[in-house]
Amino acid sequence: MAIVAQQSKLSQIIWPVLAWIVALLFFFPIFWMILTSFKTDADAVKPEFLFRFTPTLENYTNMTDNYDYWRFATNSIITSVSATLFTLFVAVPCAYAMAFNPSRGTKDILMWMLSTKMLPAAAVLYPMIFLTKSLGVYDTKFLIVMVLSLINLPIAIWMLFTYFKDIPKDIIEAGQMDGLTTWGEVKEILVPLAWGGIASTALLIFIFCWNEAYWTVRLTTTEAATLSKLIEGNRAPEGLFFGRLSAVSTAAVGPIIVLGWFSQKQLVQGLTFGAVK
Amino acid sequence: MANRTIPRLLQTPAVILLLFWMLIPLGMTLFFSFIRYVLNNLRNPHWTTPSIENWRGFGNYQFVWGQDSFWLAMKNSLVIVTSILFLTVILGVVIAVLINRSFPGRGIVRVLLISPFFVMPAVNAVLWINMILDPVLGLQGLAVSGINDLSAGLKDAPLIGWFFSLWPELEPISFRATQTSSIAVIMMVVWQWTPFAILIFMTSLQSEDQQQKEAAVLDGASTWSQFRFLTLPHLGRPIAIVVMIQAIFHLSLYAEIEIVSRGNGNKNLPYYIGELVNNNIGAASAAGIFAVILANIVAIFLLRMVGKTLME
Repeated sequence: MAIVAQQSKLSQIIWPVLAWIVALLFFFPIFWMILTSFKTDADAVKPEFLFRFTPTLENYTNMTDNYDYWRFATNSIITSVSATLFTLFVAVPCAYAMAFNPSRGTKDILMWMLSTKMLPAAAVLYPMIFLTKSLGVYDTKFLIVMVLSLINLPIAIWMLFTYFKDIPKDIIEAGQMDGLTTWGEVKEILVPLAWGGIASTALLIFIFCWNEAYWTVRLTTTEAATLSKLIEGNRAPEGLFFGRLSAVSTAAVGPIIVLGWFSQKQLVQGLTFGAVK
Repeated sequence: MANRTIPRLLQTPAVILLLFWMLIPLGMTLFFSFIRYVLNNLRNPHWTTPSIENWRGFGNYQFVWGQDSFWLAMKNSLVIVTSILFLTVILGVVIAVLINRSFPGRGIVRVLLISPFFVMPAVNAVLWINMILDPVLGLQGLAVSGINDLSAGLKDAPLIGWFFSLWPELEPISFRATQTSSIAVIMMVVWQWTPFAILIFMTSLQSEDQQQKEAAVLDGASTWSQFRFLTLPHLGRPIAIVVMIQAIFHLSLYAEIEIVSRGNGNKNLPYYIGELVNNNIGAASAAGIFAVILANIVAIFLLRMVGKTLME
């Protein structure tokens, strides 16, 4: 018995320590990026300044001069926010109808919507360039908003559907008895009850829009270029600009990581389409 | 009857939008894949406009099928995807089990572990290939030269000097080179997606039957056999789902390939298509259809698994 007790005491120390080491290792590249962002470009590549250096904010204050950061950031914010809102605008009524008035075809429609997500983007790259150029929308924010909305629409409908499904039908029926219109049902009953679900769907869609790196790179040049495009354009600084590149990278991902911390639970549901609970 | 009309009406915008998104570009790709269509051709200028007159039948498919670079891209796609899947699932299971207990600071450990998943792919690739993996100025370069300096300094030390004089000079690895650029991509994607696997497995572990586990402990089952016969079977379904979702995402990896080496040594199917799009649209479209077929093989299994839980 004594051995068992000793073992468990030892493992009570070993496992948590191991867990902490693993977590710190995983976080290390992000930590390193943040740390480098406070070094000058010259200090960033010198071994003697690995951890001990004079921190500077110049990489952040010069971000506009060095990279025109805010132009790209503004595009990212505008396109991601608009795409999130538009996605919800289309997805909420759709998921509402599917959850509260399911027909025999609902399951098939949901599966079909999900299958559009499986379409490899590269397969339709040229048609997209061709169509958008002939319609005159290539490299516009409008186009990026539409594309981001379309690629995230299935996830949004799916997530909202799983939230709405859990709301008791009786409540909606009681609303109908009281003579509420469909719009009234949505406004008075659905939105207040499913507020948390809608908010977390919005958060997740926003994160996906922000991080999207295929269409935002291939369908923009200058006008609608987002942060993904900015970073991709500075892919090989040859060690000259590690400090400033770290600063612009930190600024591009920092807010999203923090938002991500709040969406952990929803992430599981959103990305597995409710298949893991 | 009005009861049926309104729900239909509410679904219509979403259905129409996705229908357009699905049918029009894919239909065009399918059409282009059967015609001769190039962007520049001085001898045959009529090939530069998409028209049914330039019908080529399965010629584009045969052309792509016969190209070495297509098969290389196919091979790279599969090597990259399967390596990532293998590593993320193993790391994911081990780490999920590791932190599936209460210990001080568990909340912070979770937050630290999930963070890489939210880094945008472009930043992930730029950060890894430059600040971390660069053979001279990155952490790798600094570490290698640091170790070399250290062992060179210790060569003259008494007693232990002979040991360090046998020590070989370490060579830093260039991860933009043909032989290694796939490894760089695999590393950075594994770093980004292991958190996803951990998160899914952890969620699933929380619903594991605790009474069963306690019974096993009372019966004297070892930690290993508990893991092998209770935890692992419980994780079977989440593992399958993680594998399929990741397969679909990673079959279309692009930004990482572009940033690490612009396709040198790690050119996958999307990158190969992206290169063909610069001129040979017919061939690019045929390759695109191959990519659709490949993704569909994975997707069918995924949809079947997800479909089962749909109406519960």
